Amino acid sequence: MTQTLISLISIIIGIIGANLAGLILKKYTLGIIGNTIAGVFGSILFIKSFGRLGFDPNAIMKLGNINLYLFIINIVVSFFGGVIAVILIQKFKKVMS
Amino acid sequence: MEDMIFYDRLQFAFTITFHYIFPQLTMGLSLIIVYYKWRFLKTNIEKYNNAAKFFMKIFAVNFTMGVVTGIPMEFQFGTNWAKFSELTGGIIGQTLAMEGLFSFFLESSFLALFIFGEKLMGQKLHFLTGFLIFLGSWASGYLILATNAWMQHPVGYEILDNGKFVLENFSKLFSNPWLLPAFLHNQLASLVTSSFVVASIGAFYILRNKSIEYGKLFLKTGVIFGLVSSLLLAFPTGDWNAKNVAKYQPATFAAMEGIFETEEAGAEIVLIGQPDMIHKRLDNKIAVPNILSFLTYQDWNKQIPGMDQFKEEELPDNIPALYYSYHIMVGLGTIFIAIMALAVFFLWKKKLYTLKPLLWAIMFLVPFPYIANITGWYTAELGRQPYLVYGLLKTSEGVSPTVSSGNTLFTLLGFVALYMLLGLLFLVLVGKTIHQGPTSQKH
Repeated sequence: MTQTLISLISIIIGIIGANLAGLILKKYTLGIIGNTIAGVFGSILFIKSFGRLGFDPNAIMKLGNINLYLFIINIVVSFFGGVIAVILIQKFKKVMS
Repeated sequence: MEDMIFYDRLQFAFTITFHYIFPQLTMGLSLIIVYYKWRFLKTNIEKYNNAAKFFMKIFAVNFTMGVVTGIPMEFQFGTNWAKFSELTGGIIGQTLAMEGLFSFFLESSFLALFIFGEKLMGQKLHFLTGFLIFLGSWASGYLILATNAWMQHPVGYEILDNGKFVLENFSKLFSNPWLLPAFLHNQLASLVTSSFVVASIGAFYILRNKSIEYGKLFLKTGVIFGLVSSLLLAFPTGDWNAKNVAKYQPATFAAMEGIFETEEAGAEIVLIGQPDMIHKRLDNKIAVPNILSFLTYQDWNKQIPGMDQFKEEELPDNIPALYYSYHIMVGLGTIFIAIMALAVFFLWKKKLYTLKPLLWAIMFLVPFPYIANITGWYTAELGRQPYLVYGLLKTSEGVSPTVSSGNTLFTLLGFVALYMLLGLLFLVLVGKTIHQGPTSQKH
């Protein structure tokens, strides 16, 4: 059941990543609301897509205890999921307008 | 075992209650957004377009929170309720997968197009994307309700020798007599929530003397949608649902109405009273004779079986909680009709925008439709107990046998902490959107 908590933590990390990206890379920011939404979807997309490589929440808890290395990889991927989502959505926004 | 079931149920109740704060707004709000967009297409008045875009921002924040809080629901089927998923996956897996694949993707894809694509697509296509978002969110509700309707009133299934349920007739899943009334009632309830949110933002702007033009528009839209939806919520959809409960779950009907003893000639409707489970009676009750028989069967003297007609194990396991949930829902629904009727009356008299006490009331009433929606769901879920699949699979038979109560409690505490964080973030984001107000950008 800890898997569910891990997935929520990784989404929150994605939100943090997206908002930090917006703060540092000003030209890509979507505003706090846009960055937060991008962070959620970016982290979910990245974990769903790449988590199968062995660091999805189920793999992290496979042996009953938290595998810290896999957990850290999950968090890092989630963080970058948020960052990349902000950049991509800003580019998409420019194309659309 | 008792502990395990208690904590599993508590965790599910907590996570689903928190989750349902968000979809109940998105489903109703999507219809109001489509209305504003349609009005803009008809009149070419910019404020309608800005209103649609403003509420789409609030929709987007809610939708995102709904996605985040929906993830634990998906996980819980496998973690806390593995036995239930194993036995009924052949049936509920169909509708839940369709919900994820069709509705969710329809909603999220077109949400991005609506937010970013107005200039590129033009107004007609922009309206179409809004309409598809509405379609996706309502289809999502329909498929979730189809799953729940099967649990409330199982149809079109076959039970194999190993105890697993398999679908015998796919179309029966969607022609389930429980489904349509439950779906319509649920969607109208979500429209009531959205109407109150729209009206309360309008009242807020008027009281703050900010974005007055939009304040008036939101208030007018909110109270008209609110009155129509709260009336339809009571009749015919609420009435239809109650008749379904009386027909298919008579023990639940007796418990939620607080009928401990069967009366020979016609059942009374209880307005207020406190269930006393030791003496099997309602204390301090105020009731109107024969009304329940008339409302249920259109016959003043028709007998309605009380709880004394059922075996202990056939009755819901928490009668006071069920009784109070149902009565809170009905009581609040009645208040909504009264408030919205009053507001529409003053709108017609052209006094609504200056009537401060009513504006304050509308603004502060906004949590109550949420409470009514959630207690409505509690009524449905507590009423189905002690079964997961009514009459066929008990709740105690559906839990995961290997997950300890300590583990569930630990993760529940984790959810509480994380959801507090998310709740705070949600309030900040929605507050910021409301504070910014509808921007008057040209398209």
